[in-house]
Amino acid sequence: MAHVYDMVIVGGGPGGYTAAMYAARAGLDAVVLEKLSAGGQMALTHQIDNYPGFPEGIDGFTLGEQMQSGAERFGAKTELVEVLSLDLNAQPKVVQTSEGTFYGKTVLLATGASPRTLGVPGERELIGRGVNYCAACDGMFYRGKTVVIVGGGNTAAAEAMVLSRIAKKVILVHRRDTLRATKIYHEPLMKAENLEFCWNSVVTELLSDGKVTGVKLKNVQTGQETVVPCDGVFVSVGRKPATELVQGQLNLDDSGYVVADESTRTSIPGVFAVGDVRTKALRQVVTAVADGAVAVHYAEEYLTELG
Amino acid sequence: MATKNINKEEFYALQEGGKPVLVDFWAPWCSYCRRIGPAYEKIAEQYGETLDVVKVNIDEEPQLAQAEQIEVIPTLVIYQSGQALGSVVAPESKAAIDGFIRQTLNL
Repeated sequence: MAHVYDMVIVGGGPGGYTAAMYAARAGLDAVVLEKLSAGGQMALTHQIDNYPGFPEGIDGFTLGEQMQSGAERFGAKTELVEVLSLDLNAQPKVVQTSEGTFYGKTVLLATGASPRTLGVPGERELIGRGVNYCAACDGMFYRGKTVVIVGGGNTAAAEAMVLSRIAKKVILVHRRDTLRATKIYHEPLMKAENLEFCWNSVVTELLSDGKVTGVKLKNVQTGQETVVPCDGVFVSVGRKPATELVQGQLNLDDSGYVVADESTRTSIPGVFAVGDVRTKALRQVVTAVADGAVAVHYAEEYLTELG
Repeated sequence: MATKNINKEEFYALQEGGKPVLVDFWAPWCSYCRRIGPAYEKIAEQYGETLDVVKVNIDEEPQLAQAEQIEVIPTLVIYQSGQALGSVVAPESKAAIDGFIRQTLNL
């Protein structure tokens, strides 16, 4: 008989590794399945200033690695595999991966979310040729150049600030007439001399000659189309939960997030959802971490009942 | 053992070796490059017999990066006798790197 873990944790971000640490400390046999490296989205964050205990801030990659070693100190394991399918109703629950099958009495989903795309033709082909999703990652390539950033939320605002310090000119394109980002961002953005705003506008087309040369914008109020020449586009239009693998098994909300309350319990007993992947008011490292601890509490309860 | 960072001279010398060479073009300021790191070390362990697995820091070797037309990082390239057989930009999982190697080398 194949090995059955007490808990198979899908995803190695802050929620996943906190659950792993709590599970290991509770004497549960837990494994984290991570496709690349610890940290999840956080690993791409240059500096995290809102996770308590780090008064000078900490970079997300390092924080992820530290969460991993913290969990592994108590015996949690990590496998670098890609999950291909899940059978959450089976007992034990079955997780098929790129490197074999894992079985768990419980499954904890900590798969997070990823950037939404613009959904315009050519976007995918132009990734790395002018289309970018992370200013902290790719901004440096645009030193002294002109870039367009699409979006109006907190991430877009933060990315626009990063880009305004690197690029010659930054054009922020937003479909509304005001930023959705919290007030703290507004003033520095308005003050940045090389930043222009294109309100009420959406990108309808990417122009390229193999690399991005510009974008076509459409004003959503007047319908007027304009072409804005640029060297690159940064897309910052929100996030999409990684729930494709559980569609049809777990209850999801209209945006695709796993329906689970603060208990992290999902519609299937023994399956828990933590961090950005579940329905919640605030998606932050600190709330993901809290979910991880809570999930193990309820998983222990479930395992006791299971006998 | 951590994967070795090589310079231009070592890069060209490796191409004489006969063994295919997997190169990760990266830079210290690139967050996604760091994310590839742990998976890349595993790849080096797994494929060490088939491939020379190395890294090139494009900040230290800008001429090499330019000569190899590296325009975005991380870019992974497999070379055989100086010829690029294939490349992948910002692979999203260790499984994706596995797939890239197997496909490029017909393993």
